[in-house]
Amino acid sequence: MTLMPFERRWAVAAMQAIFPGSSDMGLADIGAMNVDGFLDEFIAVLPWRAAIGVRLAVWLVAFAPFWVLSRFATIVRLSARDRERVVVALMSSETYAIRSLALVLKTLGALLYAADDRVRTKLIPPPANSVTQIHRRRPRAA
Amino acid sequence: MNEVLPDVFPDESLPEGAVVDGDTLASDTQDAFDVVVVGSGAAGAVAAHTLAKAGWSVGVVEEGPWVRTREFGDGVYRAFKRMFRDAGTQVIEGWSYLPVLQGRCVGGSTVMNSAIVHRTPEDVLAEWAHRFGLGDAISAKALEPHFDALERDLSARAVSDEALGENNRLFLEEAGVRGLPARRMDRYEKGCRGTGRCFTGCPSAAKQGMNVSFVPWALALGARLYSSCRVERVLVDGARARGVVARSKNGRRVVLHARRAVLVAASTVQTPNLLRRSGLRARALGEHFQCHPGVGIAGVFDAPVDMGFGATQGAESVALRRTDRIKLETLAIPPELAAVRIPGAGDELMRRFGSFPHLAMWAVIVRAEAEGTVRPAWGGRDQVKLSLTRTDVERARKGLALLARMMLEAGAREVWPGLFGVPSVIQSADDVRLIEEVPADSRAFGFITTHLFGAARMSPDPRAGVVGADFQTHEVAGLYVVDSSVFPTNLGVNPQHSIMAMSRLAATRLAERRTGQSTPPANRAA
Repeated sequence: MTLMPFERRWAVAAMQAIFPGSSDMGLADIGAMNVDGFLDEFIAVLPWRAAIGVRLAVWLVAFAPFWVLSRFATIVRLSARDRERVVVALMSSETYAIRSLALVLKTLGALLYAADDRVRTKLIPPPANSVTQIHRRRPRAA
Repeated sequence: MNEVLPDVFPDESLPEGAVVDGDTLASDTQDAFDVVVVGSGAAGAVAAHTLAKAGWSVGVVEEGPWVRTREFGDGVYRAFKRMFRDAGTQVIEGWSYLPVLQGRCVGGSTVMNSAIVHRTPEDVLAEWAHRFGLGDAISAKALEPHFDALERDLSARAVSDEALGENNRLFLEEAGVRGLPARRMDRYEKGCRGTGRCFTGCPSAAKQGMNVSFVPWALALGARLYSSCRVERVLVDGARARGVVARSKNGRRVVLHARRAVLVAASTVQTPNLLRRSGLRARALGEHFQCHPGVGIAGVFDAPVDMGFGATQGAESVALRRTDRIKLETLAIPPELAAVRIPGAGDELMRRFGSFPHLAMWAVIVRAEAEGTVRPAWGGRDQVKLSLTRTDVERARKGLALLARMMLEAGAREVWPGLFGVPSVIQSADDVRLIEEVPADSRAFGFITTHLFGAARMSPDPRAGVVGADFQTHEVAGLYVVDSSVFPTNLGVNPQHSIMAMSRLAATRLAERRTGQSTPPANRAA
């Protein structure tokens, strides 16, 4: 299963709303990363039910502006501020299924965003250890 | 401080022809062994090694690939994709979704767990003996030599000073202040330097997962491993197990004949349906599934905590296991999982995410009373259903409230409970009551589970169980189940040690009977 191009645009818009980056903290915007490629690759390895869940989450967030903001527009047509209002509203929805689906997109975004070197270098101190390989070890039969 | 790595890891120097990779198998194939073991995780690897050491010829079949130590990265996505079942998206269905993280690779879940050592609690064994009629067959005395051997072979030891890390140290210090009995975890490791990467595969092979211990050790003794081969069914002829039929990842048919026995160690989720596909129809098959749901709580400290350094899980308290059925423990998580767990979205999330170096994460796991089912579903899927009871959720809530208090007392300037209906940030002990008042509804909690039990329960009564106390199925002679699906109940502590000891006990008893055929089920005493 793969996302259609318009579905990918919706997903990217949602993920940018969740992980917009921060110039204050030097955290990159997820939009600067290969979101399209990541989505295609990840959905391809998912079981069909999980892949359908992702697609449902994308459609949910795409059309959420209708009832969250009473705006006749998909999420890609919104300003960054309104996109954020939409995803925050979904994540704090009283309806378990809605906030669970929104969490699916947050999870997908997190797997890409927090794995990016530009982000990790800001969050994880460089290791104090150097790694050397100095001795040989063989498997043993205990 | 230098981290010294070997230039050859135990999973790199293997006997010629010991591993058949189902990803590149050229044609359909057949092979014959004394025993075929299904699964290479904690149960399968130990059974394979025990029998190989006893002189049996052993074939091991593993559904997943063998991801070598040198291939481990620190990215969660890469690990999910290559080593986790359903790429990390497996869930238990019920009143709420309960994510289940399970390994699907050589070594199974031991590749990405924290290698925590706990002997089976004696009160649990007493319950098994009396409530489930297991008597002395599965007792502390019977298991003791196996625990001893495993602890020796896998170098079980308490977390060292140099691998402790701040997340674990804070927990221990605060527990000490409160008078809550707590301790450094015992883990299977040789030379851990606290890289905090248990979850994505230990990059130095210090963690003694099955992929760098019992699997290569069994292969060194002559066993053969078929990786990336999914077992479709056990071959049963005349009510006796004769081998397995598997399908390689690239579509080849693999038939492995077993002269003496087939041992199933495919895990609590996969074993019941494999037995069903093999024709077993025991009433208890797929019933009484249990787990340990866990939920974490995060705290932000003024000083750096740096979860990227230190034992992923290095401190715990089991003081409330018997009274409240909960266990408290530390849990360092990588940035990817923190980003999911940190509340909010947009600018607020970014601001909080910037606090990651100052974040501590502790968790409560519950010895849940809830029982569920494992059934086959459309498309060959394994469907697990379970809804936590109100009492289970209340216990988790109590544990979270305690952890929140501990974090605040330890100096956290903010605690992030991660509960629906509770403010995403609490800053004072008075606010902890908001956690205590949250409805006992599992949908408000971010539970996850990795410890799975039951669904092919052990009982001497064929109406109540799938296997007898000798681990042999009641219906098919020579077919043994040696993973945690035979556990009559959950444990309240991390299960790997119990799984390995039970498997070693089963394999040892089987090896001791090598001169004759297995006793037909009908002739075995109840």
